[in-house]
Amino acid sequence: MTSFDLLITVIRDMVLSGLAALGFAILFNAPKRMLLGCFLCGAAGHTLRTILMNSGASVEFSTLVGALAVGFISTYLSDRYNVPASVFTVTGAIPLVPGIFAFQTIVGLLNATSSRAEQSVELLVAAGINGVRTALILGAIAFGIAAPMLLFRRSSPSV
Amino acid sequence: MNLLRTTADATEMMFKFAQPEAHDKAPLDYETLRDVIDLALWAGQLLMQSGAESQQVEETVHRLGTGLGCDWLDILVSPNALVITAISDGEFRTKVRRVVNLGVNLQAVVEVSTLVQQVLVGELDRHELRIELERISHFQPGYSRWTVALMVGAACAAFSSLFGGDWLICAITFVASVVAMLLREELHKQHFNPFLVVVITGFAASAVASIAPLVHLGNQPQLTLISSVLLLVPGVPLINSVQDLLKGYMLTGIARGFTGGAIAACIALGLLLAMSLLRVTGL
Repeated sequence: MTSFDLLITVIRDMVLSGLAALGFAILFNAPKRMLLGCFLCGAAGHTLRTILMNSGASVEFSTLVGALAVGFISTYLSDRYNVPASVFTVTGAIPLVPGIFAFQTIVGLLNATSSRAEQSVELLVAAGINGVRTALILGAIAFGIAAPMLLFRRSSPSV
Repeated sequence: MNLLRTTADATEMMFKFAQPEAHDKAPLDYETLRDVIDLALWAGQLLMQSGAESQQVEETVHRLGTGLGCDWLDILVSPNALVITAISDGEFRTKVRRVVNLGVNLQAVVEVSTLVQQVLVGELDRHELRIELERISHFQPGYSRWTVALMVGAACAAFSSLFGGDWLICAITFVASVVAMLLREELHKQHFNPFLVVVITGFAASAVASIAPLVHLGNQPQLTLISSVLLLVPGVPLINSVQDLLKGYMLTGIARGFTGGAIAACIALGLLLAMSLLRVTGL
């Protein structure tokens, strides 16, 4: 892949994942003046993940890095607009959510019940792998977007 | 570095109110304490109904209560109830309020958090706070149903393009998810069971999207089925679940995880129903 192709991939990814985050921001009734921030968070997280996956990293690790980016950008934006960071983390994380893996897990489990014994073993193994992958990606997202808070706010648990 | 400093300052401010030796406050009488706990519960309920994570609920309620004059508040966040004890000068009152999860509403989260900041700097008293909470409870969504449907359709189309679909796949996904979103709004308005709404919406989305695999349109016809149900994916419950577990709120974390899993299963059920009725294969 030439560098020009890579640039095109990155720009396309930014626009599409930003649009996805924007659509969900409107579904979640985000205030209008924060829509641009939601777009940016979604685009940054997902594009970073795509770049890392293109260079050979695993989907779980790439998601962690993408979610960290969402987390830190959200912290900056929440200071700037003086709103809770969750406005940006929730919408920014949406493009990273492993909907396909979660879905394949459930479809695999349902198909396994309606297949012959030899086939269902294979289907169950595939569903199990997808399930673990879903859980790992979700964990990576949650840890990534919570990281700024976990790192900077370590006061005694008084509240 | 600026980022680090402001976050640290916010922390300091937040935990200043949590010091147990805050006895320089005037003691609140029993009736005032009732008013404070009522307002704190109301704010907490609004946050929980709008999809805030448990720590955010607990901290916001605590800051609000101490800002209104209490010495201390103890808050129990459970999956469908909020319990608060407010303490002032040895006197205390406790109240429980049931909370029903209504989905995600970021506007409400932002407004409640702004109110709490205003209370902390002394711009709002209890009476004004009550009026503001009343307004937030009854406010109308900021976007029309068509704006929401079209933007959600665009988001799902963007997902299908990210998965590698061509423009025809995108167009079919867009139509299917706009139809599904309008149907979902309508069913929500009729107060159907939320899981039933997901099954029916998932069924409708994949029934419309089935046209691609049935007529062999586009480069990967099956993508329309997966992408058009993405508007139902329980992203917020699942992310909040792991965040709650990370921060030690085991009860809400487990409950939200189960909710998310059940919604995902309902999506799959609706989709498989549509596929078997229309005899679409090969997913």
